[in-house]
Amino acid sequence: MKVVQGIDVSDMTRFNPDQRAPLWWGILGLITIESAVVLTFCVSYMYLAAYAEAWPPSGESAPPMLWPSINLGLLMLSSLTMYLGGRAIKRGNQRGLAIGVTASVLLASAVLVLRSLELMAYEFSWKDHAYGSIVWTISGFHYVHVTSIVFGSAVVAILAWRGYFTQQRQIGVVVDTNYWYFVCFAWIPFYLLLYWGPRVYGQ
Amino acid sequence: MTFEKPTNSRDVIDSPEETSRLERTWHSPGGLLGWFTHVNQRMIGKRFIITAFCFFLLAGILGILIRLQLAGPEQKLLGPELYNQFFTMHGTVMMFFFAIPVMEGFAIYFVPLMVGSRDMAFPRLNAFGYYVYLIGGIVLFGSLLLSMAPNAGWFNYVPLSSKLYSPGYGVDVWTTMITFIEVSALTAAVELIVTTLRMRAPGMSLNRMPLFVWAALVMSFMIVFAMPAVIVSSTLLILDRLVDTQFFIVESGGEPLLWQHLFWYFGHPEVYIILVPALGMISTIIITFTRRPIYGYTALVLSVVAIGFVSFGLWVHHMFTTGLPQLGMSFFTAASVTIAIPSGVQIFCWIASLWGAKIRFATPMLWVLGFFAIFVIGGLTGVMVASIPFDTQVHDTFFLVAHFHYVLIGGAVFPLIGATYYWWPKITGRMMSEAAGKWSFWLAFIGFNVTFFPMHQLGLEGMPRRIYTYVEEMGWGDLNLLATIGSLVLATGFGITLINAVWSVFRGRRAEPNPWGAPTLEWAADSPPASYNFRHIPVVHSRWPLWDWDTDRERAVVTGLRNDRREVVLTSILDAKPVGVQVLPAPTIWPFVSAVAASMGFIGIIFHPIFFVIAFFLVAFTLVAWFWPRRPWRND
Repeated sequence: MKVVQGIDVSDMTRFNPDQRAPLWWGILGLITIESAVVLTFCVSYMYLAAYAEAWPPSGESAPPMLWPSINLGLLMLSSLTMYLGGRAIKRGNQRGLAIGVTASVLLASAVLVLRSLELMAYEFSWKDHAYGSIVWTISGFHYVHVTSIVFGSAVVAILAWRGYFTQQRQIGVVVDTNYWYFVCFAWIPFYLLLYWGPRVYGQ
Repeated sequence: MTFEKPTNSRDVIDSPEETSRLERTWHSPGGLLGWFTHVNQRMIGKRFIITAFCFFLLAGILGILIRLQLAGPEQKLLGPELYNQFFTMHGTVMMFFFAIPVMEGFAIYFVPLMVGSRDMAFPRLNAFGYYVYLIGGIVLFGSLLLSMAPNAGWFNYVPLSSKLYSPGYGVDVWTTMITFIEVSALTAAVELIVTTLRMRAPGMSLNRMPLFVWAALVMSFMIVFAMPAVIVSSTLLILDRLVDTQFFIVESGGEPLLWQHLFWYFGHPEVYIILVPALGMISTIIITFTRRPIYGYTALVLSVVAIGFVSFGLWVHHMFTTGLPQLGMSFFTAASVTIAIPSGVQIFCWIASLWGAKIRFATPMLWVLGFFAIFVIGGLTGVMVASIPFDTQVHDTFFLVAHFHYVLIGGAVFPLIGATYYWWPKITGRMMSEAAGKWSFWLAFIGFNVTFFPMHQLGLEGMPRRIYTYVEEMGWGDLNLLATIGSLVLATGFGITLINAVWSVFRGRRAEPNPWGAPTLEWAADSPPASYNFRHIPVVHSRWPLWDWDTDRERAVVTGLRNDRREVVLTSILDAKPVGVQVLPAPTIWPFVSAVAASMGFIGIIFHPIFFVIAFFLVAFTLVAWFWPRRPWRND
């Protein structure tokens, strides 16, 4: 049997423009898995709340709203700076990318500081009751994720300042940005549950 | 761009220099240190398969010891503590360390070959997943030698598994290693999904994809959605044990049933995660040994997808005796019975395919026929226990033990052994002995039924599961003795396959590229395949490319891939049109280093939470080293 040329791929792109890259699908896979974890935590919270006699337990008050709301704002703002950085490199603006990612890293670092102070001020421990356990676990889960995006994106920022990313070579930015969005937006259901939840359940 | 058969295309002529250059580009480094750098999908797949079968052997030995303990009333072979450890380890290892990894191993090895790719989407992640699995398995089994093994059952129900009732490190080992190994399963799942969706040979549209690849795809999606639940439940349990959280402690507002919901939300799909790839193996074998297109390709695909969906709605049927609301339980009965419909569609499509065909009763086909007999019985008892009144009667008896061994061994292990005989020549380049294969099958088939069929009766007579002994007056002695004899016959049957496999590697008849006359692409590669899988990526025009090649005069291939670096074709999801070329990374030690760093964290937290923090940063640094771009940066 003769082997003949069917398709010639010599002129096709070797870069990964956006969604065509396997890495984009890979990060989507990670986000899907982690979203399932987020959802499972939320369901566990609601399950414990539904079977509790009082939520939060009598003697406890729901945690204050101010600082977590500011954190929500900071995380949304950091998503915006991340988005602007990504848009800059799509136009080939390397400096714009570096500034955008660095700003995001700084904003998320501020969130870490504020969250640390807030957690230290919690009046209950994870050892006290199931309510304390789930609040601390969800908080810890999200805290670790913010730490990881700060670390990962700091590396992206270093590479960006060194001019590694270009209009074509930007898949690293795309996947980092997507994961950044996930971590920031995962705060929304957690924020609603942890801070609005007890006020709704408590009525 | 077209996928029609090319007209007036120029011939592709291979030069030996080009081939040897391709070999140099794709070969895996030799030596001991080189072993830790391999990223090739066939290497990784083979390691998964061999390691998983080692765990099958070890867990099987535990099973035999359990049967010997139960052979007669008031035996003294194992004490209650050892017995608890053995049945916990038997279940845990079989489910987590054998069944899933072996299915993923076969998928990792064969999916890229079946879709006509040179490797998978994330070769380094693949290697990482294997090391995680290997380390996790060694630690779990090592715990048995250190008398630290888990002993609260593979389901680890709280409060039995709480610190109060299970002191010591056993349950800690279970929860951490289960979470750890899920990382491995999840990496492989994402890898398989992306490879299947984006790296198929040009022209292999979704409706031309081999049925095993469909099954592996569904299995991977199920893993992605099921495993997070067990990760969360294990995390909550380890936190309860390690830092005194109160998730499952009733006095502090905790809910023990939350554990069961989370565990079975994962645990039920788990059964189908194991079954679904086996269904793909069966279809593959039936196509080849009837040598005609399968009946109802679309129905088979849709029913596998349906099984994947419905399996997520059944978990409460494991909890009928926990006192849930009646309406909820009725819903789960209905859902449990519903899954018999897509399963039935599969069986009827296979019967229709076999009907009137000239079947070749080679060894792989025998194991498939054995599956029919055993799985149908397991399915029928499954419909029985899905009914609340019946389940209330037989709950926690040997009837359940009989039922799930019929489903799991019949549904997964028999097809798996058949698939091993079927694909062995591709993996090793040698044929396994047919005569020994037939002996192995008949001994295993008879031994299996002698072992597990009497357990139905024992269950109906009221013998509870998880007891380490019983008194003579109960009258369970004869059937238990029979079951133990059966288990020895079953083990002999599997043992013959093991000897056959090892023997054939050295002495087996050399295999041609396509010894069974199969139609799918993996048989277009050499036996065993070259490091680059295919000299030329084929262009596909139908579901049965190799049968087409028997009749066609010309065979179209992809040209233009560079041979001095690892390039693969990227195609579109639905119709597999080429859209670009992906350059894959080369071998490296970093996945291994990362896995070691991660394992430090998972093993460490058994003893102290601080290891989580240390390992977190260690892993982060190893990942940076793994991904750090090396100059010169690629500019084309």
